[in-house]
Order: sequence, then structure tokens, then C-alpha cells
Amino acid sequence: MSDFSIIGKPTAMVDAAGKTTGAGKYTDDLSLPGMLVGKILHSPYPHARIQRIDTSRAEQLDGVVAVVIGKDAPTPYGILPVGHDEHALVTDKVRYVGDNVACVAAVDEATADKALELIDVEYEVLPAYFDPEDSMKAQSDFIHDNKPQNIEKDYHHVFGDTEKALAEAACVAEARFIANEVTHAAMEPHSTLAAFEIDSHTGKPGRLTVWSSTQVPYYLQHKLSLVLEMPMAQIRVIKPLVGGGFGGKSEVIPLEIIAAVAARKAQAPVKITYTREEVFWAHRGRPRTIIDLKTGADKDGHITAVKARVVQDGGGYCSYGVVTILYSGALLGALYDIPNIQYDGYRVLTNKPVCGAMRGHGTVNVRFAFESQLDELALKLKIDPAEIRRRNLLKPPCVTINGLRVQSYGLPECIDKVVERSGWRERKGKLPKGCGLGIACSHYVSGAANSIIRSDMPHSTVNIKIDRDGGVVVYTGASDIGQGSDTMVAQIASEVLGCSLGRVKVIAADTDLTPIDIGSYSSRVTFMNGNATLRAAQEVKKLLIAAAAKKMNCAAEDLVFRDDRVGKKHVAAGDSPAQDGRGRPSPHELSTDGQASVSGRVEGQILRGSLQQKRKDEGPKDAMTFEEAVVAAIDFHGALTGTGSYAPPQEARGGKHKGAGVGPSPAYSYSAQVAEVSVDEDTGEVTVHKVWAAHDCGRALNPVSVEGQIIGSVWMGMGQALTEEMVWKDGMLMNPGLLEYRSPSSVESPEVEPIIVESVDPEGPFGAKECSEGSLAATIPAISNAIYDAVGVRLHESPFTPERVLAALRAKKAEKKIDLTEGVDPTAPTRFREHGGSLWFRGKGPARHPLDPARREAPAGGDD
Amino acid sequence: MKKELIELNVNGRTHELAIEPSKLLLDALRQDLQLTGSKRGCDDSSCGACTVLVDGIPMLSCTMLAASCEGQEITTVEGVSEHGSLAAIQKAYGDWGGAQCGYCTPGFMMTVKHLLAVNANPTEEEVRSALSSNLCRCTGYSQMYQAIKAAIEAEQKAVPST
Amino acid sequence: MSLPQFRLLRPRSVEEAVGYLATHASNIRVLAGGTDLIPSMRQKLFEPEYVLDVRRIAELQGIRPQRGVGVEIGVLTTLNAIEHSDFLRKHYPVLTEAAATVASPVLRNMGTIGGNICLDTRCLWYNQSLTWRKACGFCIKKNGDLCHVAPGGTKCWAVFSGDTPPALLCLNAEVEIASPSGARRLPLREFYTGIGDDYRKLQPNELLTRVFLPESSADYRGVYRKLRVRGSIDYPLAGVAVVVKRSDGHVSDARLALTAVNPAPVLVKGASAMLSGKTMTEELADKVGDLAARTAKPLTTSALTPEYRREMIRVFTRRAILAIANN
Ligand SMILES: Cc1cc2nc3c(=O)[nH]c(=O)nc-3n(C[C@H](O)[C@H](O)[C@H](O)COP(=O)(O)OP(=O)(O)OC[C@H]3O[C@@H](n4cnc5c(N)ncnc54)[C@H](O)[C@@H]3O)c2cc1C
Ligand code: FES
Ligand code: FES
Repeated sequence: MSDFSIIGKPTAMVDAAGKTTGAGKYTDDLSLPGMLVGKILHSPYPHARIQRIDTSRAEQLDGVVAVVIGKDAPTPYGILPVGHDEHALVTDKVRYVGDNVACVAAVDEATADKALELIDVEYEVLPAYFDPEDSMKAQSDFIHDNKPQNIEKDYHHVFGDTEKALAEAACVAEARFIANEVTHAAMEPHSTLAAFEIDSHTGKPGRLTVWSSTQVPYYLQHKLSLVLEMPMAQIRVIKPLVGGGFGGKSEVIPLEIIAAVAARKAQAPVKITYTREEVFWAHRGRPRTIIDLKTGADKDGHITAVKARVVQDGGGYCSYGVVTILYSGALLGALYDIPNIQYDGYRVLTNKPVCGAMRGHGTVNVRFAFESQLDELALKLKIDPAEIRRRNLLKPPCVTINGLRVQSYGLPECIDKVVERSGWRERKGKLPKGCGLGIACSHYVSGAANSIIRSDMPHSTVNIKIDRDGGVVVYTGASDIGQGSDTMVAQIASEVLGCSLGRVKVIAADTDLTPIDIGSYSSRVTFMNGNATLRAAQEVKKLLIAAAAKKMNCAAEDLVFRDDRVGKKHVAAGDSPAQDGRGRPSPHELSTDGQASVSGRVEGQILRGSLQQKRKDEGPKDAMTFEEAVVAAIDFHGALTGTGSYAPPQEARGGKHKGAGVGPSPAYSYSAQVAEVSVDEDTGEVTVHKVWAAHDCGRALNPVSVEGQIIGSVWMGMGQALTEEMVWKDGMLMNPGLLEYRSPSSVESPEVEPIIVESVDPEGPFGAKECSEGSLAATIPAISNAIYDAVGVRLHESPFTPERVLAALRAKKAEKKIDLTEGVDPTAPTRFREHGGSLWFRGKGPARHPLDPARREAPAGGDD
Repeated sequence: MKKELIELNVNGRTHELAIEPSKLLLDALRQDLQLTGSKRGCDDSSCGACTVLVDGIPMLSCTMLAASCEGQEITTVEGVSEHGSLAAIQKAYGDWGGAQCGYCTPGFMMTVKHLLAVNANPTEEEVRSALSSNLCRCTGYSQMYQAIKAAIEAEQKAVPST
Repeated sequence: MSLPQFRLLRPRSVEEAVGYLATHASNIRVLAGGTDLIPSMRQKLFEPEYVLDVRRIAELQGIRPQRGVGVEIGVLTTLNAIEHSDFLRKHYPVLTEAAATVASPVLRNMGTIGGNICLDTRCLWYNQSLTWRKACGFCIKKNGDLCHVAPGGTKCWAVFSGDTPPALLCLNAEVEIASPSGARRLPLREFYTGIGDDYRKLQPNELLTRVFLPESSADYRGVYRKLRVRGSIDYPLAGVAVVVKRSDGHVSDARLALTAVNPAPVLVKGASAMLSGKTMTEELADKVGDLAARTAKPLTTSALTPEYRREMIRVFTRRAILAIANN
């Protein structure tokens, strides 16, 4: 057993009861007196210039309080400093169907909806671009004037000599892979409530408070200040419970600014909650990615070179796009030891909703391609797929060829574990017809070493206050979005301080109360905020130690803080009450056994009175309660506070090449997975029976949460692998709802066996690293490789829908073809017309520009 | 449209409400009764976050008119905890990771409560099928099965079998 | 999304209901379980002035076997009740099997057999929000004059996507319809028109009241196979119902019906003849599969490609027949 009393034990989340009873509040659950409902008018055109907006009819409708449009907040913003290309509401052009044109604040939803119908907008339609490769050829009517060829950003990285290595390789595999677009589909639709207060001194609207379903309260505060032209100090952002983010709430989403602008104009609190369709339009999901990949290996299976051309269909604005395209390049070659890498990445603008960061940001699609191709090489070289991965391991501590520092590397153990648990050696290749096993690996950052807003500020700061009541209050900017960061913070604080979890109260993600943390994204929170918490706790603990040492008349080093008690090392450290396993809830409760009961809250009241005086008069002691130590420390030092912050070390911040800032992380997580599938050869249906997923998370601070994150990632990866896909027809999203988007239900969700691997990172808090994203990327290629094992077809396009699988099976058997989409761009307009489904028949339908792809040739008729 | 007066029985209490006939039960619960435990996750009746019990049967409160429920007993997630403490299933969901972000949880509480009421010892397949009306985007459902198993065991311990 | 405003009527008897229908026929919608109507009203596909909530009409509930005649099922019987009816499972297994595949368990607690029969036809270009439909220029079925699925056509191809009607067709079901002028009975086969935007023969002042399954259809072996992407929630993307009666090893009678691939659920013409008097072999199953695939006319109304859905009609038909043969 480890030496910890809190961490490493399965622990219910500190806010679990609020979630299971319905008492916990999410943003849409909040209301304020006089609150108005905001509704947004969205663009019906994929690309058009706004000629005129007339809101007067809407304003006259009974119950409408304000109508806002672009010029009410004309300052552009964007999550990246290089990508300030969005407006709260568009000022000149709309760039996708669903872009934000105007907002009505009214007394209720029905009135606001009615008012939207009364806003008159005149558009001049422009040619639209839906396919990235098409868009890159554009000569005019660029989506953003300053982005010629509609290329948001391209990067060309060369490390080593790829051409030479490929020429000399014993074996080369080359293919085009396509990963179609997916979205977060968090269960909570985005919601924002904004309210101004009247300033007592000026008598005018003053401070703004915004409650929002966000992963990044600090960035939201920053962008609100920019667009509303208010000092940040006048803006308070509060994050209530958030119903899942997965990256979809990791940047400022239009409604968050629109609500504030509307509240300002309406002079009343305004709440906007997206419909599910609006959530799909707000999107920021994983871009459709076209990957042309070439990998070379020597005859023993050592990878000698990787060459990739990656095109990402980014949608109408920059969002995190520049970061995404860089992550794809940086992480592509950093899982294994690869001496030569060439990467050409293009982030392309199209007239569709905006892509951004999604769980496994930037790594997932290239990993699908890479791990699939690695299996192809293994096949050609007749090497076992697990073995070829072992042969290409990094040898840490090391720095990869593209400048990423690796210190802890649990990948070898992950591979061994999944090989063992899945019975790989005994079962691979011996399963019945139509069944197969596939293996794949992945990794991810534990937070970015360089923050997106360039500055030297720490990425996380945490304050701790301990008062005479014996309560420990932790103030953290970390945003719990369901992943359990509040619990992680509480665990670390109580572990360090040696107090019970029930003593710790976490105040989180309120910019008025909590110090800066840059948010919940890129799996940075446990590593960075955890480290800051650790340091804050250590700092405040010093005061407790000094006081206790004095009281107990011993050296500071002799003291042990554990289980709400302070004892001397040689004296038994008290019974360890918090039994492990699910014999809970012990870690949550203030210990009630024997001696320690003095520290109970009720007793605590007495302590402040006569009992405390009595204790003071007593001589040196062998042990004291946590609360006595607190009282003693306050008597000696006054207020007990500690602050800790975390900034990634200079050595972890990466190389010097252009774009080198993205990819570096203080530590990387590693994952290996084996998937077992069966394929129905008549229908092409793939069933995933089980996934063994080993994940190196450094140290599992809370095993239930770690396992939950691993399972959730694998499961989400399976969704992308099999069912999920945003289907576009000429810029219209055909499935903007949960019914048609189809994230998996419990029936077809496989058993996932999470296997925790602890490599104990030298810089992580108690050795912990990332555990919430890294596993996702391995699942898609593991399934794809398993399909190959089962039926011998290699799928190059995700998701592996039954029709794609069947088409591949038929092609393999040279049977009658069913003409499907394998390898072909399913969004290319010619394809829709093959199946009918054109918007533009003989001039009917909505006005679209004559140069639009779908209009260039006459559509073919339907089936009948 | 003019509001009409209706009586709604929710969690054992009767409320008189003036609402439009077009008001959905979910909106009446959340907006008029401030029972915000039931969630809205979709607009096409496919996610189950809004599930409540109507006369003991799980139904989607986003797909029913409040006025249609007059005379029926509605139980929401706020009516699940017992005597101010967590019901076994609530406790187990917390302990076993059945709830991550928790947004889907109220819906699951209702379907699971009903499942265990009609089938005290379901097989894993029965559990999967019973949960298949509700979508969760965080957990991949696995830890919910463990939670349900734990809750059943806790219930069995609490009520010694006769 | 809130619903459009309307007046709610809550009759307690068929008579009262029919009275309301007579008075407000021009602008009224029947609400049973609401699982089809309410989501559609949210999308402003229907904006009736009156909604007739029939849930309180007790006489429309229940499954009533009638010795020597068959069984009568009230239209308000939930799909869950059908799925779990021992009587139906024993004598009309194809129906319980089909009912058990509808949507999800919670939706089956709400959805009724009457609603499933009357289910509106569906299309990706139609079942969308008002904003969405505006952006794509509307369609023939609602507010427009264009079909996005079969451009140039004037016919609406929205697809009938109910699971129980193909089973009911195989069972020679009849439906009873009440109207101000009395009740009439109609074979279900004649209830559907095959036209997407006018898919059922039910006047605005009519109410479906009962479904009858004749005793002559009892005790057929039956199988329903459904194509869906997820194991729950999803509407069918193709569906095949087969019933077979056997005597001495061959088929003495059989019927085959399809759903989710045409604007109406359809009995496959010629299938009975092809099967009757034969033993069910792989070759025969193939032949019937081909016939079924020819009857199916899937278009881009739904997810997955039409080619694939038609192919699955072939595969599922074949499998359904072999499943019966081997059972
Ligand atoms: C997410 C989701 C998934 C679904 N999946 C499936 C599926 O897989 N398979 C499937 O078959 N269905 C599916 N459905 C549709 C629906 O749940 C079922 O078809 C159900 O049986 C409809 O019955 P209802 O009583 O709820 O219908 P309602 O919505 O009440 O009515 C449907 C239509 O029939 C009319 N109507 C109802 N009863 C009568 C009557 N007695 N007389 C005259 N007109 C009447 C209504 O006016 C309305 O037009 C799904 C629905 C949802 C929301
Ligand atoms: S809110 Fe999604 S089903 Fe009710
Ligand atoms: S716990 Fe987040 S959706 Fe289920």
C-alpha cells in the first residue's frame, strides 16, 4: 500500500450529491428577478454580405426589450491572439449557415422567437466554399479578406532528411486517410446569464457578472473586457456546474458575449441558452481531416521516416485552428522514436460552422492514420503489431526530434498490460471468422507548456485559507466541468495537510474570488492546478508545522500530519481510518474515532473557549489534533494562508522552429489499447465487444475518476470510429440533433477494461499526469486494426459505418459494388446529386451564388 | 394564449399553476416550480435528461404537456432522496463514478429507480436495455452498471431478505 | 424550444372527442403519446389551433382477445404494453417483436400503437427546425414546392418510419376509424397512400380507435428485422417483417412487408406466392430477398445511403426467412 491517506483511494466527487439529487445548479438552472430571455437570429446563408438590417418591427413587438446587432459590439475577438476574426454578432458578412446576426431580449422565449421573425435582413450572396481542397483553390471572395486562398495557416516542418530515409527504407506504406467531422455533443447545451449592477458612486451601470457554462472563465473575462470595452476588474465570471465540455466550452462561444451585450442594452439580466441545433452550429469540434501519410521502416520494423500532408477543414473562423494544425504535426511523430519527420499542415477556412478544440485536440485524426499505417507496415514486414510498437519506443529521459521533452514514459508497460489482459498472444489470429483483435497506442499532453496568451504569468495559482474553525478553504480557478477537478484539488490539499477531506471546501472558478487559472483544456488541470494546490498547501502547512513543533517541543522534521492528527514520527501515526476500496465514505467524513473526535466541528466551538485555554496551559504533548495545530498556528502567526502557483519549466517549453510553441508539455500521458470486434460480412456492421485500455497517468490520484476518464475517452473514440459524423450537404448540417448525430447508447457500448499504469512523473503533483484525453486517440485505430484482423479490409475513412465497411468488403471480394464513399469526399457536391439531395434544382430553393460548387453543373434527377 | 389554472401533483405536493396549455411539463417544472433538477438536453426527444416518473412510469417531461398531466402523480429527481438523505442509488452513483458532469444523472436516476422498482435484481443485459433511453456523454455507461450493482447490494443489506 | 400556442381539449370519451373533431376539423391535431407530434410541433411543422389530447379516453386502452374472432387493441395501448403482452407474444409474435424495437424503453412507455400507425412520414429535409428549413428553402411537404430528395419531382418521398405497421400488415390488421358520421373499418393495407405529404387516409375529423388482428393470422411464426445505427432510440432505416405458416415442412402461407424505405409501409407483392407451397431454402430466401429489394425505393430521406438501405432489405429478408426456417 502506498503511503498516502487520501490520494490513490477511490473517492466520490465532492459535488456528487448535488448531481444525483438535482440540487446542483447549472447555468440554465439559474434565474434572476427581471431576467429576460435572449434568442439569436442565425444566418440562412453560408456566405453573404449583410446589406441592411432593420430591427424596428421586432423592437415594436410587445414584450421585446432590446434588439442587438453587430454594431452594438463591433470589436473583434477570438480565442487566439492571432485569430481575432469573430464578432459577437457579425458586422459585415455571414460565413456559415447558423452564423450570428442579431439577438432579441424579451420577456419570454415565445416573444423572442416571434421577434426574430420580424427582423429584416438583406443579404448579398457570395460564392461559398464547403470542401477544403476546393476552398484552397479560391481566387476571389475569400472568406476572410486577409486570408488568401482561404488558408488560415500552413506550417511546413522538416526534421532530419525524410526523402532520403524514405528512399532507403526497406518498406514503405502510403495512403490517404480521411477522418470526418465530429463534435463534442456535451449533454448540457451552452448557457449564459449576464447581469449588470448599478455602481453606487456613478449611479450608472457598473460591474458585470456573467454565469456561464465555460471551461475557461479567465479567458471569458478577458474577451468580455475586450469586446465590451470594460476593465477586467469590472467583470466577474462565475462558472456554475458544467454539464460536460470536451473542448466545446474551451473558448469564448458567441452566446457568452452576446448575452452580456444584450444585458447592457436591455438594462436587465439576460439569459441565453442554446437549442441543441445552436450547439451544433456553435460547434468548435474536431475538423474533418485529410491525411496523406507515408511511413518508412527498416527490415526490423524500426520506423525511419514519416511524411504527412494534413488538411483540416476549419469552418468559417480561426478559433483554435492554428493550434490544432500544430498539435497534429507535433504529436504525430512524438509517441515513438522517429528520426525523420516531414509535416505539411494546412488549416483551411470553409463556409461551415467553426471547428476548434475537442478531446484529444489535434492528435486524434493523425493518430488514426499513423497507427493504421503502422499495422500495414507490420503486416508487410511480418512483425506482430504489438511487437512493432515495442521496437519503436522512445528511450527517456529524452527529447524527441521535434523538441518535446519526455521524462516519464509508461508506454512499454501499457503495451505489456493490454497484450497480457486481452490474451493477445494466444488469441490474435485465432478468433472465429469475422472476429478480430487490434492494437494501437496514443499519448497526450498534460497541459500546454506555453499558454495561448503569451506572458510569463503562472498558468495556475491557488490560495488556501485556514481559519480557527479548523476548516480549510481552497480557492482555485480550476474549472470543474465534470472531470472532477474540485475533488482533485480537495484531495491534494487534504493529503498535504493531513486533514480529512470533509474539512476542505473548494471555492472554484469565480474570477472575483479565485486566483487565475487559464482553464480546463489540454488536460492541464491536474498537472498544473494540482501542482499549484500542492504548493499552496505546503506553504500554509509550514505555519502549522512551526506552531506544532513549538507546542510539541520537537523538530519540524519529526512531525507527521495525517488523518486529522499531528504526531511525532516515532509515535504511531494513529490508526488509518480511511479504508480503501468502496467501503466509503470514510475519506469524506471528519474522523470520529477516539482522540481525533476532539477535532469535530462541534468540539471545535468549545476549543475556541475554555478548552483551548486549558490546552494552552498544558505542557508539551506527543500528539495534537489538526484543529489544535490550527489554533496554535493562528495564535503564533495570525491568519493562515498559503499561495502556490505553477508555471511550466523552461526546459519543457520546446524547440525554436516556427510553431514550436505548440506540442510541448511538462509531461505526456501514454495509452495502449486492444479492441476486440466482430464484423457482420453481409451488413458491414461492426460490433466492438471489449476494449482493454491501459493508460499511464503518472499516478492515479482518484482511481474512480481516472478509470471513468479512460472509459469515457475510449467510449467517445468508439463513437467517432463507428457512428458519429457531422453530415453536410452544401453547407447545411443534416444532423443537428442528438437523434441524428447518434452518440452511442448503452446497448452498443462495449465493456471497457481500464488499466491504470503509474509511471510517477518527476514533476507531476504526486507524480500525476493527464488521464482524460490521451486514451481517445488509440481507440479509433485499435478498432480499425481489429476490423482488418477480422475481415481483412483496411478502412481509410472514419467513421466505419456499415456501408463503408460493406463497400470495402465488396471491393475486396471483387463482388458487385455498392457505390459508396470509401476514399471519396462525401461532402463533394457531385456526390450528393448521385443520391439526389440537391438544394438547387432549376433555380428553386434558397438563393445561392451562381459560382457555388453545387450550382456549377445541372443536378441529376432522383431515383424516380 | 390565455393561461389556464391547473393542479399539478409533484413529489407528493399539489401545486396550483397558471400556465399556457402549450407549456411542456419540463418547462413547468423548471420555470414555474423551480424544480430545476430535470434537465433539457435536446429538442428532439432523444436524450432522456428530462425523464420523470408519471404515475411511477418513466416518461420524457419535454414531450408532454403539463396540462395533460393533471390528475397524475409526477416524481422528479428532487423526489428521489429519502428523509433528507441520499437514496442508495444516488449514493452509489456518486461512489462509483456513475455521474461525471452530472447533467444526464437526474434522468438516469428516474429510469434506474423505475428499473429497480420492477426488477429488483436485473441482469446486466436488462440494465443496459433499461438505460438505453438516456444518453450520457461522459461515462460510457460502464461505471453506472457498477453503481447499480452496488445500490442493489446496499438495498439488500439494508432490508434483510425474508 | 417552446411549442406554438394552441387550445387544449381533453375529452373523456370517443363521442366527446369526435364532437370536438367535428367542430374544429379545419384546425385540430390529435395528441396521443405525443412522441411524434410534440417534437414536430417544436419544429413548427404543425401549428394547429386546437390539440385534442385523447389520453384520458379509457375505452381506447387495452388488449382484448375475442374468442373466435381475433384480438382488438385500443389505439392508446402503449408500445410497452404490446411488447409485454403474453397473449400477443404467443399468438402474434411478429407484432411484439416489432413493438420492442421502437425507439427506446421510455419512449415506448409513452408512444401508442395508434400513434405508430398514424406516424408522420419523415425526411432529413423536413424534420428540421423552422430556421433550418428556411435556410434550405423549404420542401413540398411543408411550406415549399421543391423536393430535395428527388429534385425536379413533384411527389413527396418522405419515408414512413414506423416499426409496427409492417408487422400489422403481415397480420392482415384492420383499423376502426370513428368520425362524426359513425365508425368504419378499413384493412390497414388500404390506410396508406404511398404519398409522402398525404400519407394516410384519415380525414381531419376522424379518429383512429381500434386495431383488429384476425384469428386467421394467429400463430404464424414471425420475425421483424430492423436496420438502425444504434441499438436503441433510432428510427428504422429499413425494416422487414415476415410471417409464415407451415404445414408438413413447407410454407402454407406467408407474408412479407417493408418499412422505412418507401413513403408507406408496404406488403411485398408476390412474396406470398413465391413462398407458398415451398420449403424454405437458402435459394428461396435469396429470391425473396431480391424481390423485396426491388420493392424498396429508399432515397436520401434518411441517414446512410439509399443503396445500402436497399441492400439491407435484401439481406434482412433473407435472414428473416432463414431464421423462421431454422426455428
Ligand atoms: C427519439 C425518437 C425515436 C423514435 N424512434 C422510433 C422508432 O424507432 N420506430 C417507430 O416506429 N417510431 C419511433 N418514434 C416515433 C414514436 O415514438 C412512435 O412511432 C410512437 O408509436 C408514436 O405514438 P404516439 O402515441 O406518441 O404518437 P403521437 O405523437 O401522439 O401521434 C403521432 C401522429 O398520429 C396522430 N394520431 C395519434 N393517435 C391518433 C388517433 N388515435 N387517431 C388519429 N390520429 C392519431 C397524431 O395526430 C400525430 O400526427 C420515435 C420518436 C422519437 C422521439
Ligand atoms: S430533453 Fe432530451 S429527451 Fe427530453
Ligand atoms: S455524466 Fe456527463 S453526461 Fe452523463
